[in-house]
Amino acid sequence: MQIKPILAAMRRHKAGTILIGFQIALTLAIVCNALFIIHERIARVSRPSGVNESNLFVITSDWADNSSNDNIDAQIKADLTALHQLGSVQDATSLNSFPLHGTGWDNFIRMTPDQIHMTTDASVFLADEHTLGTLGVKLIAGRNFTPDEVQSLTIQDMKGWPAIIVSKDLAKVLFPNGDALGKQIYASNNNTPSTIVGITDTLQSHMMDSDDNAFAYNAVLVPMREVGTGYVHYLIRARPGQLEAAMRDVPKALIAQNRMRIFDPDDGEMTFAQVRAKAYERDYGMAILMGIVSAVLLAITAAGIVGLTSFWVGQRRRQIGIRRALGATRNDILSYFMTENMLIGVAGVVVGTLLAIGINLWMVTHYDVARLSGTYLLVGAVVLLLLGQGAVLAPALRASRVPPVEATRSV
Amino acid sequence: MLKMTHLSKVYRTEVVETYALRDFNIDVKEGEFVAVTGPSGSGKTTFLTIAGLLETFTGGEYHLDGIEVSQLDDNARSKIRNEKIGFIFQAFNLIPDLNVFDNVEVPLRYRGMKAAERKERIMNALDRVGLASRAKHYPAELSGGQQQRVAIARALAGTPRLLLADEPTGNLDTQMARGVLELLEEIHREGATIVMVTHDPELAARAQRNVHIIDGQVVDLAEDPRFHTAYTAAAGQIRG
Repeated sequence: MQIKPILAAMRRHKAGTILIGFQIALTLAIVCNALFIIHERIARVSRPSGVNESNLFVITSDWADNSSNDNIDAQIKADLTALHQLGSVQDATSLNSFPLHGTGWDNFIRMTPDQIHMTTDASVFLADEHTLGTLGVKLIAGRNFTPDEVQSLTIQDMKGWPAIIVSKDLAKVLFPNGDALGKQIYASNNNTPSTIVGITDTLQSHMMDSDDNAFAYNAVLVPMREVGTGYVHYLIRARPGQLEAAMRDVPKALIAQNRMRIFDPDDGEMTFAQVRAKAYERDYGMAILMGIVSAVLLAITAAGIVGLTSFWVGQRRRQIGIRRALGATRNDILSYFMTENMLIGVAGVVVGTLLAIGINLWMVTHYDVARLSGTYLLVGAVVLLLLGQGAVLAPALRASRVPPVEATRSV
Repeated sequence: MLKMTHLSKVYRTEVVETYALRDFNIDVKEGEFVAVTGPSGSGKTTFLTIAGLLETFTGGEYHLDGIEVSQLDDNARSKIRNEKIGFIFQAFNLIPDLNVFDNVEVPLRYRGMKAAERKERIMNALDRVGLASRAKHYPAELSGGQQQRVAIARALAGTPRLLLADEPTGNLDTQMARGVLELLEEIHREGATIVMVTHDPELAARAQRNVHIIDGQVVDLAEDPRFHTAYTAAAGQIRG
């Protein structure tokens, strides 16, 4: 090929060459990191909750009067009885929080009563015997709670939790040998031990901060109805295909039980799909923002290449004519500009790769970002080279159509 | 070598048809040195661009080295330009971004020649025009005469069967022009066919044969010895 004379000619057009090369480098560096962030966010968004999310919804009942705790407990029981009687409802449970909720209660888990530093952290779900069935989470070992076990207490009254169910990820953290069932741990705020009576399949915690990623699948289920917080979440599993009907029936049934309650018009009643969307809206937002930034940068770079190459073609019309007169075919001219662009692109990609690694290392040390994988650099490099070739095609084709007689036109 | 029969070239716009060449006939034999003269706008340059396959023609026939060229596609025309024709332009037409060596190399690269052979031919050609020592210079660093010598070297390096020159000394002073002309004569003596378009009567007089073009047609004065003598005398007066 004619690489040597192209390089020689490029030395005479340093400014434009360096400008485009640097633009390609910068675009690669930023786009690689942006794509990596997008990928991380998508990976986060697509991790499983362990919950069977279809046909599931949440309704939050805020108590509108200052009833006594005993009255509230009686109301929750009555509500659940009423919900179980609805034809569109398959199962229902009351909870203090639920997977993906973002807010809730997490406790440090210890193995011994005198342990100062936690072994790990876990969501505490105050549950009942219907919780696993409603969430659609399977027990993989041990037993479910019995109705008699479920106490009704305010947080202040808690005396410890004799029996708990833990998620399998928490069980594995606490007992890596896989013998968690029947073991005692210290999960509550006082120094009474809790015995693990059951282990669930995967179950995500309520925690959504990226700081809590290590604890994302740690959950402790405690047989308890919490009163004295002013609200209760009911999670309801509709019968298959009856989600809409159940979401209409449930508020009516609850109002029929007691009018002194409020359902927030915004998020008082949400399908689990809406819960998920809300939980990850910042991740979606970030992914979309990064996507837009990447697209805009790629467009600007492509436009820059089109612009500068068009300028060069205009500037070199006579030179192209001379080359045609001396025997260059249209393909030779086309490939001249394509090769020229490829050379600038390769230089830009090499610099851009180094820059991308630099930016990533900086983010790794300053922010909670993982190391950039080589795949992104490779894909980014290929995308930018193809983008360059695509952008240069139109002006290069225009150049190839410059007639040889252009060589004889006077200057 | 170069034979045009009833050739015509028409430039068409929406309102007007202009004949640049009309019923144009010329036959240049192998090894001839022909000067094509004529007033401005007579069609000299059009003739040269068609002869060099830089442009297509409208009607008639053109045989170049035995090949009828009107049916050839763009690639075939490029190949003929590259292998059979050497061009020397009034404005030298060197590529300013390339040094002397790379300029001479341009047509050889399009021929797909190996690097070693290219280098040998380039250095021989530059040697021939006396510029071997300037191989690394850029055109802007050379005088007009030197640039035209580089252009001649570029044409020679491909060992073309036909050398087409368009006012090769038009941009040069007398001394430089003489040098270039001597070079052309030397090349001719070695067997090349040269067709040269020129205004310069001295240059035309040095050719073996003059072809005069007026209004897009060949006027057969040039082979008339009386005209030739008168032309030379006139040229002498102008120079004198």
